[in-house]
Amino acid sequence: MQQYIIRRILLNIFVLFLVATMVFAALRIDSDHVVNTKAQGCFTDVTGDIEQCKAVARADLGLDASILRQYWDYMTDLLQGDLGNAFSNKEPVLDQILDRAPPSIELGLAQIVVALFVALPVGIISAIRQDQWIDYILRFFTIFFLGIPVFVVAVFVILITSRYFGQDDAFPFVSDWLGPHGSGWVNIWENPIQNLKLVTGAALVGGMATGAIIMRFLRSQMLEVMRQDYVRTAWAKGLRERVVIIRHALKNALIPVLTVIGLLLGSVISGNVILETIYNIEGVGFYVTFSALQFDYPVMQGIVLVVALLLVFINLLVDIAYGWLDPRIRYS
Amino acid sequence: MAQEQAVPSAAIPAAAEYPLRKRPSPWQNVLKFIRKKPLGALGFFLIFFLFAMTLGTPKASFGVPELPNSPLGFELGRPYMAPYDEGENFKNAAGRLNVHAAPTTDHWLGTDGSGRDNWARIIWGARRSLFVGIWALALATAVGVSIGVISGYFRGWLDTGVQRIMDALQSFPPLLTLILILTIRPFTSEPSLVVAAFALGFVGIPQVQRIVRGVVLQTREQQYIDAARVIGATDARTMVYYILPNIMASIIVVFSTGLGVVILAEAALAFLVPQAVPPEGASWGLMLDQAENDGLATHPWAGIASAMAIALAVLGFNLAGDALRDVLDPRLRLG
Repeated sequence: MQQYIIRRILLNIFVLFLVATMVFAALRIDSDHVVNTKAQGCFTDVTGDIEQCKAVARADLGLDASILRQYWDYMTDLLQGDLGNAFSNKEPVLDQILDRAPPSIELGLAQIVVALFVALPVGIISAIRQDQWIDYILRFFTIFFLGIPVFVVAVFVILITSRYFGQDDAFPFVSDWLGPHGSGWVNIWENPIQNLKLVTGAALVGGMATGAIIMRFLRSQMLEVMRQDYVRTAWAKGLRERVVIIRHALKNALIPVLTVIGLLLGSVISGNVILETIYNIEGVGFYVTFSALQFDYPVMQGIVLVVALLLVFINLLVDIAYGWLDPRIRYS
Repeated sequence: MAQEQAVPSAAIPAAAEYPLRKRPSPWQNVLKFIRKKPLGALGFFLIFFLFAMTLGTPKASFGVPELPNSPLGFELGRPYMAPYDEGENFKNAAGRLNVHAAPTTDHWLGTDGSGRDNWARIIWGARRSLFVGIWALALATAVGVSIGVISGYFRGWLDTGVQRIMDALQSFPPLLTLILILTIRPFTSEPSLVVAAFALGFVGIPQVQRIVRGVVLQTREQQYIDAARVIGATDARTMVYYILPNIMASIIVVFSTGLGVVILAEAALAFLVPQAVPPEGASWGLMLDQAENDGLATHPWAGIASAMAIALAVLGFNLAGDALRDVLDPRLRLG
């Protein structure tokens, strides 16, 4: 096991190198686009020539060197922990990412926690009470929340809380907890209550949708596991229902759930752009989407690398947890 | 032993005394399904309705399946269900556009900000959502399941290598990958639904294969796989005839969840990056985007209509997928 973990960590370094190369290559396939966009802003009547504008823009963005030279510079900077400066405001990308990562990670984790609070009870109950009314009702509402686009839910929640639970109404704390906040980010160590107020609404709205996905995988696997011989043995031994379901069935049904949680963590941290926009949380998802629309190469490269760094270790943990949940899965 | 032989053959009843149970007719099966799985039946009904919405008179011109109106390679005319053309504006008595109208008998779901009929646009938009959803998921599932099964079955270095490459692909934020594929010029000179479907499918591959691989890792340690190996099944045969049927439940769940996710993603893409998807033609996502710009609080009808269309489509695929999974589960026979 130790050997396996060490080997995986060494491999992860290789993966990060691969990611850095892939994102570099993907962005350089079509670098004329960003140069043309930048060059459009220059006054052709002053310089007289659009080609000249393009050359200036190209030099300004550091895209004028040969592709190998650019790659060499990029990699050497990377090894020194320098992710370069953003095209748009020329500020170091690393600093901006470090500012924006905590809100995104916190929102992502909170969302997964909410999702688990929805998914675990609903998944278990709808599997052990399959085709009974409680199964139908729980499943219908959970999946319905998956179906409604998250921005519609968020907008309606905000509308209702601000209209009926505003500062002048009976329960202002409702909009305080569920609505968006205009103020900036507050560190969780400085003011935990205010910090939680910022993410609760977004996490609840996002978690309801994510919960349905986890719930479906859990239900499917629970149904499979509940009919295995070892569960029948557990019933036959006379164990209590709680013990049979939680210790014997649930533990074996968690493998797909764990996979999905690992996948969701990755996409939730960097892909929560809609929730972050609506709830005014300055996070990574918001940043990467709008950088991508402006073709801000250093920012895109930086965020992909940081997400990759998180993700390879999440995946390692997931793989280790497979072996813990199901000891038949061994790593040599 | 002797006693068994002593049983007179007359004691065994003739087959005629135990007639075979009559095979239920297909209609009886359908009724039984509706009774046993009401939610699944609702899901299938929603899917049939969604497909019915896309039907229209085929036109003669064959071509690349490029437009949302020609998902199968030939162009379809106006959908039978659509009362109006997708861009038709309506003038009221005063000669102005009848915009943001609430539902009436003429316009069942009201009209949008340009005076177009919401119901008609929902019907036209169904083609686009189905086209993108099904092709993207077909790509993601076909490639993802193949990679996942092979990687999980052989394990060892192959698995490690494949999974690390998938790690790398997965670390690109989905929206970033979509924007990149949709804007890089070698792939597309102008916004195209085929490229959008391809991009959405491509983003799904690492996720599908990761889920499939997880299940395969568990399945390959079961006794029946050992048994298959003992009777001399080759690796390919074991994967196709022993592992694949046993992970079918998970694949159905992946496919039906994924279809919903892709329909939502197309809507979100149109909502966030309207320039990356073809602007012409009705799309649920674009409708929602416009409704959001017009103000959901003051003019809610277009937003409610498109959000409900998306929600019902996603609900239909998920509920039908759950029911299909239950029916195909070998350990649990219906009835």
